[in-house]
Amino acid sequence: MAGTEALDLDSSTITTGRFGTSALRQRIESIAIGTTAIVLLLVVWELVPHVLPMKSGTRLFTVPSRIFDTLWEMLATGSIWSPLGVSAAAFAVGLALAIVVGLPLGILLGRSATLNAMFDPFITAFNATPRLVFLPLLMLWLGIGLWSKVAIVFLGALFPLLINTHEGVRNADKRLINVVRSFGAREWDVARLVVIPNALPFIVVGLRLAIGRAILGVVVAEFFGAQNGLGVVMVRAASSFQVDVVFAGLIVFAVLSLIMTGLVQLLEERMSRWRPQRAENE
Amino acid sequence: MTAAQLTAEPVGEPLPRASFTARHRNALLGGLAVALFFAAWQAIFLILPLNPLFFTTPTQIAAGFVDLVESGDLLHDLAVSAVPFCLGLLAAAVIGVPLGVVMGWRVRIGYALDPVMTVFYASPLVALTPLLVIFFGVGLSGKAIIVFSLAVFPFIFNACAGVRAVDRLLINVVRSLGGRERDIYLKILVPSVLPYIVAGSRIAIGRALIGVLVGEFFAASEGIGYAISRFADIFAIDRMFACILTVMVIAVVLTEAIRWAERTAFPWRAAH
Repeated sequence: MAGTEALDLDSSTITTGRFGTSALRQRIESIAIGTTAIVLLLVVWELVPHVLPMKSGTRLFTVPSRIFDTLWEMLATGSIWSPLGVSAAAFAVGLALAIVVGLPLGILLGRSATLNAMFDPFITAFNATPRLVFLPLLMLWLGIGLWSKVAIVFLGALFPLLINTHEGVRNADKRLINVVRSFGAREWDVARLVVIPNALPFIVVGLRLAIGRAILGVVVAEFFGAQNGLGVVMVRAASSFQVDVVFAGLIVFAVLSLIMTGLVQLLEERMSRWRPQRAENE
Repeated sequence: MTAAQLTAEPVGEPLPRASFTARHRNALLGGLAVALFFAAWQAIFLILPLNPLFFTTPTQIAAGFVDLVESGDLLHDLAVSAVPFCLGLLAAAVIGVPLGVVMGWRVRIGYALDPVMTVFYASPLVALTPLLVIFFGVGLSGKAIIVFSLAVFPFIFNACAGVRAVDRLLINVVRSLGGRERDIYLKILVPSVLPYIVAGSRIAIGRALIGVLVGEFFAASEGIGYAISRFADIFAIDRMFACILTVMVIAVVLTEAIRWAERTAFPWRAAH
């Protein structure tokens, strides 16, 4: 008995560390060490030009303080908002389209084995291929404005949503479905009462992955075919050797991505608290 | 984003015995759907007068593909792209796996590196492509470094998750039965971590492909990504589609090969 208790304690502290004082101490320790590591990294980066004499490469090198200065300046003068707005529009429209298409299609494919078998080759092929490969084609078809970006975001975000929804629907408890059916439910009632509530946590996981893909899509699409947007600002800055602007843009994208995925993850933890198993796909 | 999120898998066929006919049926349905898709694509030109400058038919794509193969351009471009792809991926595995194992095995190193890696992983590193191109040029090294920077994180996170998922009970059992350190590594650590690394390599391959394409779209004079964007520029839609479909086939073959390897080599993992 004592042996198993010790083991349980061991494994709980290793994995989550949510219970007990020793777990709390470990959590504090992990945050402290993690913060120290990041601060240390920034300090070392800042000191590099002071330690290493750089003759030719100075224009290509930048330090954290200069990056934050630039970022602050972009925020203070407001020069960041208009390109960021353009990028955000492509992100939002593409993601919304992916949700509108991905969820119903995922539910449909999860409920129908025949449709699933027919769509499977296409989903496998598109999911395995980097969607980026379609960018020249999409630019040809849709021009270099908003819509080619939206299309890339859409293609990137669609498949995590679709596949996770499908997985969540298939994962629905057959007994519950039979119970609801016995009480005279139609397919719509089955979906509303059993399938969709059961699939929700999976869908949220899909949403988190989709957000990451969507941001990647915006950045990449703006690199190659766009006239406006934060990605465009970054490419122009890189070609005129304003390295700090590139990093400032990277920080903006990273922070936005972390905030959004973090929010979704909170939602995810709330929803799947009672669920031992989670759906994942990337 | 934590490590475990990268690893798990949608479940496959649960009952291999009973599903034999079902799988057969699925393959038939899938093949039928693909055939229908291409037939409809071909047929739509009979009904709608689509502008051949922007649209093409499967037969024209096939002709373009034959052209590209016969002239040797396709093979040449693929070979050019394959070198940075393989080098970057190899470097990512060689550096990522040991780093991940150390992060998983030494708890405090994990604490220190987890946030840093998460920040790197969350930021769209593709955004650094213009800088990397300026630093390292448009040739092999620039592309290989882009591939590496994208592909290294799945290896790190999955190796780390694999080590953390090692069953402590098994280690105690080996110790109790008089096993040595070497037995712990060979009999527990490696079999437990390997499936995670293979799953990570599947994700890494996808990201490596993105890396090659980004590098070649951005600045290159040869390679499959360059071919695609050049054919788009000169409105050679048929040959562009031939290249796109080739990339799709390669991507599917690579990922499915690793899935197959996962199922055959680690059946106990594919089961759940």
